[in-house]
Amino acid sequence: MPSHHLSRRTVLAGALGASAALALPRLGFPAVKKGTSLRLWILKTYVEPTNKAIEASAQRWAQKHGAAVTVEYFTFEDMQTKYVAAIESNSTPDVGQLETSAPSRFAGMGQLLDLTSFSKQIESQAGKAPANVAPVTMMDGKVYSIPWYVMGAFWYVWRDVFEKAKVKLPGTFAEAKEAAQALTRPKDNFYGMGQSWNRTADGYGVMQSLMYSHGVGWAGKDGKYKSIKTPQMQTVMKWATDIYTNQLQPADTLTWTGSGNNENFIAKNIAQTSNGPSITFAMENAVAKATDAKDKKMKEDALANHVALPHLGGPDGRRMQAIAMSMGVFKGSKDPEAAMSLIAHLVSPEETVMVMKDSYGQFAPVLEKAKTASKDYFNKNDNYRTFGRAAEWFAPTGWPGPVTAAAAEVQASNLLTDAPAKVIVDKWSVDQAIEWEDKKIKEIYDTLRA
Amino acid sequence: MTRDAGALALGAPARRGRPRRGRQRTRDLGTAALFLLPLFVLVLGLIFYPFYRAVWLSFTDKLVGYPERFVGLRNYEYLAQDDAFHQVIRNSFVFTIVSVGLKIVTGIGMALVLNGIIRGRNFFRGLFLLPWITSTVIIALTWRWMFDAFPGRGFFNSVLLDVGLLRQPIAFMATPEGAMMAVIVANWWRGFPFFGVSFLAGMASIPRETYEAASVDGAGAGRRFWHITLPGLKHVIIVTTLLSFIMTINDFNIIYVMTRGGPGSATQVFATYSYQVAFQQLRWGRGVTISIFLVPLLVVGIILISRYLLRDRSGK
Amino acid sequence: MTRALTIAGLVLFLLVILVPFWWIASMSFKTYEQIQFATTIYVPKPFTWENYTGLWSETRFPLWLRNSVVTALVVTLISTVVAALAGYAVARIRFPGREAVASIILIVYLIPPALLFIPLYRVLAELGATNSLFALFLSYPTFTVPFCTWLLIGFFKALPDELEEAALIDGAGRITAFVRVLLPLAAPGLVASAIFAFTLSWNEFLYALVFIQDEKALTVPVGLNLLIYGDVFHWGQLMAASVITTLPVVALYMFIHRWMAEGLVAGGVKG
Repeated sequence: MPSHHLSRRTVLAGALGASAALALPRLGFPAVKKGTSLRLWILKTYVEPTNKAIEASAQRWAQKHGAAVTVEYFTFEDMQTKYVAAIESNSTPDVGQLETSAPSRFAGMGQLLDLTSFSKQIESQAGKAPANVAPVTMMDGKVYSIPWYVMGAFWYVWRDVFEKAKVKLPGTFAEAKEAAQALTRPKDNFYGMGQSWNRTADGYGVMQSLMYSHGVGWAGKDGKYKSIKTPQMQTVMKWATDIYTNQLQPADTLTWTGSGNNENFIAKNIAQTSNGPSITFAMENAVAKATDAKDKKMKEDALANHVALPHLGGPDGRRMQAIAMSMGVFKGSKDPEAAMSLIAHLVSPEETVMVMKDSYGQFAPVLEKAKTASKDYFNKNDNYRTFGRAAEWFAPTGWPGPVTAAAAEVQASNLLTDAPAKVIVDKWSVDQAIEWEDKKIKEIYDTLRA
Repeated sequence: MTRDAGALALGAPARRGRPRRGRQRTRDLGTAALFLLPLFVLVLGLIFYPFYRAVWLSFTDKLVGYPERFVGLRNYEYLAQDDAFHQVIRNSFVFTIVSVGLKIVTGIGMALVLNGIIRGRNFFRGLFLLPWITSTVIIALTWRWMFDAFPGRGFFNSVLLDVGLLRQPIAFMATPEGAMMAVIVANWWRGFPFFGVSFLAGMASIPRETYEAASVDGAGAGRRFWHITLPGLKHVIIVTTLLSFIMTINDFNIIYVMTRGGPGSATQVFATYSYQVAFQQLRWGRGVTISIFLVPLLVVGIILISRYLLRDRSGK
Repeated sequence: MTRALTIAGLVLFLLVILVPFWWIASMSFKTYEQIQFATTIYVPKPFTWENYTGLWSETRFPLWLRNSVVTALVVTLISTVVAALAGYAVARIRFPGREAVASIILIVYLIPPALLFIPLYRVLAELGATNSLFALFLSYPTFTVPFCTWLLIGFFKALPDELEEAALIDGAGRITAFVRVLLPLAAPGLVASAIFAFTLSWNEFLYALVFIQDEKALTVPVGLNLLIYGDVFHWGQLMAASVITTLPVVALYMFIHRWMAEGLVAGGVKG
């Protein structure tokens, strides 16, 4: 466990949390004073109906308790900056949806209330989170947020393309690369894969999945820096850079924005890519918006032919770095009890299922009872069944250690995607790139202030 | 010499007129102070004070969410040996020098063209200034799309593919050189009208008689350009170049929106790197230090600009 | 020969300047399929308004537009007033330190936002202004005022001295002389200055990006940036947004392009 700083702050946070916990009635949930007004921050996903569904859920809570909830959004892009800004200007919300590395990062700053006892109550109501997800919410053995769902990444492929070329659907990174080699047809502007090392989750997320599935982590189980100069990392870096040679991918892959791989996949320029369910959402939408019968048939075929496979595995297992969303209470909240009540409401199985219904498969609930309750929803078709399993393969940032501020900074510093870029663009050798990446990671761990 | 710049701003010879009497003078001072008050409040509170805070921050290890601690020159030392920062310096200078150079040449061309037409000159001059008034974010998006590898969006690829000169789209922005070229083009496109219009005005102040005398002496258009126009524009060129240099090396919008500093760090410049370090890595101490590295350059630029304005004045 | 060269040059510049605008405008009228699959390149066929309507009804663009307008108007007002006062004082009142003040204005104009945005963020946070348009009302004048003041110094200087003198002789105070006599005459300069301030404010990006996170309080440039980097790709709508955002400035600009050119010159080239 990394040593922690500003013990006074942590103690205060703990004290606040403890007193809040003590204030809770033995049974049942936190009481809510009428007229309380809370600010809730949630992630604006690419699927608008989902955002509205969460807002609606929050409003249902407000109605039930005669309180008020103001919902504000942040996006994938400004997840960091928005919270940072709020922390610096003391304008944090009451309840905030926190992505994978946020709970430990903010808890380390003393910004979150200790929710350890509260989490036990949630457990009895909604079940436990699986062991691979729980670490996201904890720091120093205490719980600072309640896990809600995982937004998985999946390996999208065009089934018809694979069938036509008689290539097996890939289960591992190695297989995917072989498949790409077999399927790529540059002359027809069709490529075997589209994996960009850009500075989005499509980039750094997949890089982490690649690393973790090969058993490579830049931190040890104790969360301290560990060197990545290993043979496994060599394999990882080779995979990451080999796919850019031999015309396996479109020429501009490295410069794609977050939507680049979506577009290229949907336009059938590439055979494989990693993405969240938003591709399926886009294709389902396209069917709904089809203009005539011919157009509709074409889009339905496309929908039927695209497959979301479980994210690729490696020699060490199948690990998928993804966004694990949890809900935390900020210490600046004037009504922590109401905040906890809101969280309890949102993560309850009933409400979770209602949100799932509008999520187009994006959210895989994490708490057991919610998971069971949403099973029917995910039974729609194969793709959805895969979506529902996302939590199974989840690995947090900083695997195999806990999520620490240093791990979060490694991800935020773009090192993970800059390293292969140096080989691809600046023509460094694989060794040089690994050496550089390792040095930079060590610097972060050394200089991140305690 | 900055005082002289100020004098020059005020231009022309001292005002003639009746000397002010004592009381009027005091009242003048009072009125001046009153009129200048809003400006002073603004400048002190929102420019000088933050600047002072910036310098202070650069000596701390401020990390978001934690109070800062004084660490002396640690940030400066770190950046001095940080190879990412070295690349930022290289990129910034390449970007600025090439872009400004292109702007100078194009500006001269534009001024010559406009100078050569009489009817509709104002109209065309106005038209040519359009890039200058457009939002840089939109310009960045526009050129991003112009260079896009996706044929439906990329102008160059669409045309070249259509005409048959290309069989595959070219990913212009996928290589470091290509990306740097693309951002330079966007910055140049946006900026050269400023040069053109300034040079045009500069040309207008070269007396016609000089040209006429030269023609009488048998000098052709080329020689007239080299020996009359260019020297006559020297002052304008220098001042405009210095101004543009300062603006360009601090550019954030165009590069951030077009490439975010990528691919890799191929187009990362001072402003974008400072933003990344401060707002994604949450290291404000270091982030501010990155921008401060440019202050000496800024000071030199300001001194040079003042000096040239001064030289112009003493030359009269 | 030079005539031919000049015409050729003119045509070349026209192409260089207008083609990018045309490309965006043309794409804003194309359907998603046309853009995605490059079915028609040069002319939208079919021509559609759906990007414009979609932009208006499906995104927060109208809100952002409103924010940009409000910000630009408020900042223009503040800037014009401050700049007019300061410009007049420096141009027309002889006081000790006058030249120093003019120099300071020039220096301040040259300090880049990229240097100030971090500490300015903290200052504004301490004032409680962040995450709202107030942050922009306070920070934008830092770059509009120096420029406008510089511009107005030039304009005020160009007015004949005698006017004020006459008013002062008649017993009017400085302030009355300023308001009643100078201001109306400097009107074209004030208009030019106001339009400059509006344009600078309308187009600003970095401060708006850094100081405001609330999606409902964004201005257009930041909103557009948000749209392009998301996972969803409404390119046509983005183009439409670009067109809509550029039009007001172009329209305003029509009025004052003469002043603009001269103003730029005044700012960059003295003497």
